[in-house]
Amino acid sequence: MSATPESRSRRNAALKVAGALLLVLLITLTPVSRPLWLGAEGLLVALAVAVCRVPLVPLARRVLLLSPFIAGAALASAVGAHASDWQTLAVRSSLCLVTVVVLSQAVTIAELLAVLRAAKVPTLLLTTLALMHRYLFVLADESARMGRARSARTFSGRRRFAWIAAASVVGNLFVRASERAERVYEAMCARGWKA
Amino acid sequence: MRKGVESVNPAIELRSLSFRYGDGTAALTDVSLRVEQGECVGLLGPNGSGKSTLLLHLNGILPERLPAGGGAVLIDGVAVGPDSVASVRRTAGLLFQDPDDQLFCGTVGEDVAFGPQQLGLPPASVDMRVEEALMRVGLAELAQRAPHHLSTGEKRRACLAGVLACSPSILVLDEPTSGLDPRGRRELLSLLQGIPATKLIATHDLELVVELCPRSIILDRGRVVADGPTLELLNDEPLMLRHGLERPHVLQHRHPHGP
Amino acid sequence: MHIPDGFLDAKTALATATLSAAGLAYALRQVRAELPPRKVPLLGLSAAFLFAAQMVNFPVVGGTSGHLVGAALVAALLGPSAAVVVLSTVLIVQCLLFADGGLLALGANIFNMGLVATLFGYAVYEACRRLVGGTRGRVAAIAFAGWCSAVAASISCAGQLAWSGTIPWPVALPAMAGVHMLIGVGEGLISALVLLAVSRTRPDLLQGALNPAPPSRTRGFVVLGLISSLGVALFVAPFACPWPDGLESVAARLGFGSRAAAPLVATPLHDYRIPGLSSPAMATAAAGAVGTLVAFFLALAFSRLVVRAREEGKPTRP
Repeated sequence: MSATPESRSRRNAALKVAGALLLVLLITLTPVSRPLWLGAEGLLVALAVAVCRVPLVPLARRVLLLSPFIAGAALASAVGAHASDWQTLAVRSSLCLVTVVVLSQAVTIAELLAVLRAAKVPTLLLTTLALMHRYLFVLADESARMGRARSARTFSGRRRFAWIAAASVVGNLFVRASERAERVYEAMCARGWKA
Repeated sequence: MRKGVESVNPAIELRSLSFRYGDGTAALTDVSLRVEQGECVGLLGPNGSGKSTLLLHLNGILPERLPAGGGAVLIDGVAVGPDSVASVRRTAGLLFQDPDDQLFCGTVGEDVAFGPQQLGLPPASVDMRVEEALMRVGLAELAQRAPHHLSTGEKRRACLAGVLACSPSILVLDEPTSGLDPRGRRELLSLLQGIPATKLIATHDLELVVELCPRSIILDRGRVVADGPTLELLNDEPLMLRHGLERPHVLQHRHPHGP
Repeated sequence: MHIPDGFLDAKTALATATLSAAGLAYALRQVRAELPPRKVPLLGLSAAFLFAAQMVNFPVVGGTSGHLVGAALVAALLGPSAAVVVLSTVLIVQCLLFADGGLLALGANIFNMGLVATLFGYAVYEACRRLVGGTRGRVAAIAFAGWCSAVAASISCAGQLAWSGTIPWPVALPAMAGVHMLIGVGEGLISALVLLAVSRTRPDLLQGALNPAPPSRTRGFVVLGLISSLGVALFVAPFACPWPDGLESVAARLGFGSRAAAPLVATPLHDYRIPGLSSPAMATAAAGAVGTLVAFFLALAFSRLVVRAREEGKPTRP
């Protein structure tokens, strides 16, 4: 299977991951004394956005959502020894953030798993990654439903109760996740799975 | 629908099967039953009567918990045990109650391929089986879809495709119509009608039983309390009420002695 | 505490990535050896659980809210090696599919939250659980372990930022540790409440840790002793050696002396003055030690508050 669509998409995904890693490394290695280099790297990032055809609005939304972390960290470093460098640091970090957001929009979990499988990552980790992604939304929905059911019967705004209620949602979520894990194991066995 | 030459062995045979869960609760007590090749049998009973536990045994899923002397389960005449589990699972396909438990892969196509892959088939014939199974349940266009984005009816049919892809001769179904809207239920029913396998269907959907299963078994508190022609059992109102069931609406407009 | 890219230099990122890969590989091998096949899907489901649990908000003050990180909790529920795999999976998915945390910094993030927080949290949990015993012991242990795991991860994070030359150690350590001594209170409380909720609905799941050792008080003391000496070493040692540069020199360069650095050191213990402790290094160490002790006794008191006497399986005292 040399040129099947699967192997081609796997190669594409591998290229995207490697490209993003290289770009982030390049940006990280940029010396603080050379802020202009960052401009050139910014163009590379823009090129990546164009090549991967990432829609701009969701991209901007993700970046804005995550940028407070960078701002906070940059401010923390502004208190530090090289107080004048914090702008460079913020720019550098933002460029990296855009790169990672582009990557996260451009690869799917299936492609990612195919890449990791080709890279000989242990099967146990792959199984765990795949199952996590499969049940992430199922459990998030369950958690939201439990939260709603709780708040429908919560009449006090006291913080103490809010904590106990939220904790019991999380606790029940774990119980349900373990019970579901049992049933998933049974379903896997029923179709001939061997550990 | 009987298949060609009858083999002497019943498709499913339980010989005084008893089972306790880890905390000591008895789930099944001395259950004996036979399902012949090609039969379609309904398994009825209130919640917690042991239906699901019984079904899990047919697939050898609870072997490590099966106590010695707790009876025997025979599938096509083969006793379920550590050595025969693989072949038994090939023979008996199990449809779980919650489709989210059964669809554990990232896409529908991958999920249907899981069984055939575990059988060790070459990739080309795996693909063929996947295509065929999805076609059969009418989901051919949804192969690339993530299970999370399917309706309950589509999920259930995807599960069925995953079971059918292993081409089992026995189908074991746990609440196949629960959570379906009328259209989804109707689609699933006609789909099941067209499958020429031996079927054992655990359900609360008595109208389904009337339509699909000539024979039924009632289970209560882990014991078989009745086994006979479906219409006879369902028309026996005292029996039904005694075991937390009720006479289905469709029968109230029918003559008790014939469809 | 997800470190974004750009704050760690290449050497730190590569070193932590190597360590994390080795740690994860070892944990995977352990899990494969110890885990019965029945429990394999539990890893994936637990990772999904943790991801969903991290989205549940706990109101703090005003409009702000906190959430669980869960390293110590998962370690207590599943055992250390399974917890390393679960936390790493969550971090990998968060990074690659949700852009949460840097790509080059993924190794460092797995190191801090996947390895340091889980293993440290697990050791503290096991030691304290043996010391106190019963359901109260579990609750107190997880509350303290949650706090310790948050603080330990933050110290490790501070070390990486300092090694990268981004934020000097004498600033990074007190800032990160100080903030996380507060955040850790939330982490400990949430972990304890969640563990209590689980123990009320499915107590059998708490026995599910992979290697349940018989409770032994002496072993508890030994482990706790080891941990506390490690803790003291973490707080003190960096000041004893000149690496990366002494606090005094930095403080002088920044224009504030040891007096100004003190509030950063001990956020929860503001306005403290312990006679005889003049050097900032000793002050940091003392703040760390006092904070740890306070956290431990708070955890004990909390467990007495929330676990009713009749819930105790057997009395801890004759």
